[in-house]
Amino acid sequence: MGVTCVSQMPVAEGKSVQQTVELLTRKLEMLGAEKQGTFCVDCETYHTAASTLGSQGQTGKLMYVMHNSEYPLSCFALFENGPCLIADTNFDVLMVKLKGFFQSAKASKIETRGTRYQYCDFLVKVGTVTMGPSARGISVEVEYGPCVVASDCWSLLLEFLQSFLGSHTPGAPAVFGNRHDAVYGPADTMVQYMELFNKIRKQQQVPVAGIR
Amino acid sequence: MADVINVSVNLEAFSQAISAIQALRSSVSRVFDCLKDGMRNKETLEGREKAFIAHFQDNLHSVNRDLNELERLSNLVGKPSENHPLHNSGLLSLDPVQDKTPLYSQLLQAYKWSNKLQYHAGLASGLLNQQSLKRSANQMGVSAKRRPKAQPTTLVLPPQYVDDVISRIDRMFPEMSIHLSRPNGTSAMLLVTLGKVLKVIVVMRSLFIDRTIVKGYNENVYTEDGKLDIWSKSNYQVFQKVTDHATTALLHYQLPQMPDVVVRSFMTWLRSYIKLFQAPCQRCGKFLQDGLPPTWRDFRTLEAFHDTCRQ
Repeated sequence: MGVTCVSQMPVAEGKSVQQTVELLTRKLEMLGAEKQGTFCVDCETYHTAASTLGSQGQTGKLMYVMHNSEYPLSCFALFENGPCLIADTNFDVLMVKLKGFFQSAKASKIETRGTRYQYCDFLVKVGTVTMGPSARGISVEVEYGPCVVASDCWSLLLEFLQSFLGSHTPGAPAVFGNRHDAVYGPADTMVQYMELFNKIRKQQQVPVAGIR
Repeated sequence: MADVINVSVNLEAFSQAISAIQALRSSVSRVFDCLKDGMRNKETLEGREKAFIAHFQDNLHSVNRDLNELERLSNLVGKPSENHPLHNSGLLSLDPVQDKTPLYSQLLQAYKWSNKLQYHAGLASGLLNQQSLKRSANQMGVSAKRRPKAQPTTLVLPPQYVDDVISRIDRMFPEMSIHLSRPNGTSAMLLVTLGKVLKVIVVMRSLFIDRTIVKGYNENVYTEDGKLDIWSKSNYQVFQKVTDHATTALLHYQLPQMPDVVVRSFMTWLRSYIKLFQAPCQRCGKFLQDGLPPTWRDFRTLEAFHDTCRQ
């Protein structure tokens, strides 16, 4: 597992999500990247059950339960700005038992699916973010396998991102700044996906340009 | 078919020649018989002499005739075997049952092959002598007598000394940790961890570095039974490239009389990889080229270059 940067690619003007994804993948293929199967990251939202909340109008914290096809035997549970728990996939069953404490938010499932590309030591995943039946945006994940410290290779990653995202190159993800010199882990990637999904969810009221 | 005809002709000539030899021998013995018998009893001395001379002359004529015949035949027979480049083994080609024993064609092929091998080996040795990469003390031109003496000084060092040199290097570079182990006898194996960037397995023979393998910080360097894995290469192209460069460095840093200096220089060079992902190329100013960061480090200045940007 190397350092990973997850970002959102805006849908190109006058194009659909699908067309923008195709544009991006064609750019990657021109660069020399090779197709390597597919990937999927999904996220389900739970909120603390009303019965367990204190009487002082305390708002419940949201918990996100996520899966990543890169780690097929694991399940990630995280709070916003909070700790991240990495568990076996059985955790899903446990969540059903914990109904009294955590309740699944209705129609909250959001996921991104797409193709996995390999270019040298880089792993690029371009996915379409869908919520229910509709496509809402595009996620771009770039992983640089050999490096384990985010601050070491950010400039290098940035140069690579610029080579195919052009002007849409993102800034450094927030998780990179958190712990200087720490070894990057799968949880950091999941936090980035969670933030991306939250951002896209907030955009949901705004009609996304170009969806036909 | 031509061979077979040729052979039959030769055989006939042989048998004729043999009978010619027999004829010659008998005529020669007749000459000696005639001389031995001397002049037979004839009435007159003159008659006896005449008869003897005539008889002797006849005999000599027949010897002469037989000899001429033999000479003619010997020209026909010729010298087939000595003309052949393979000498006597060329006679194998006379074997009429080619299909059952393809000995002759195999022989020819082997001959060609060994000729070619000799030629190529000669060329290769010429080229290799021009660029000697020997790291041991005995260079080309040192007489054979001195060779066995030169080796023990650098190859047989007490393990304690090797440990000392390595631990001194370990203390020299705080960001580099060296773990020394001796899984197989006296030869040391080092596991060098450089910051959080890479790990290097160094196989030593005394104080000579025999082999290095560079792997990622997060890659497994042990085999299933817990030993250092000195054979498999890194999964990442970056570290495969760095492994190649490290092997080049082993050949570059050589000073047979002071092996500890060599190890120290190599480690100093290796330490410059702490900025493997942070240093842009000194020539083109970029981080990536064909998806790889600058993997080359100059041997003197330790500056970072892409493999293709270095000169």
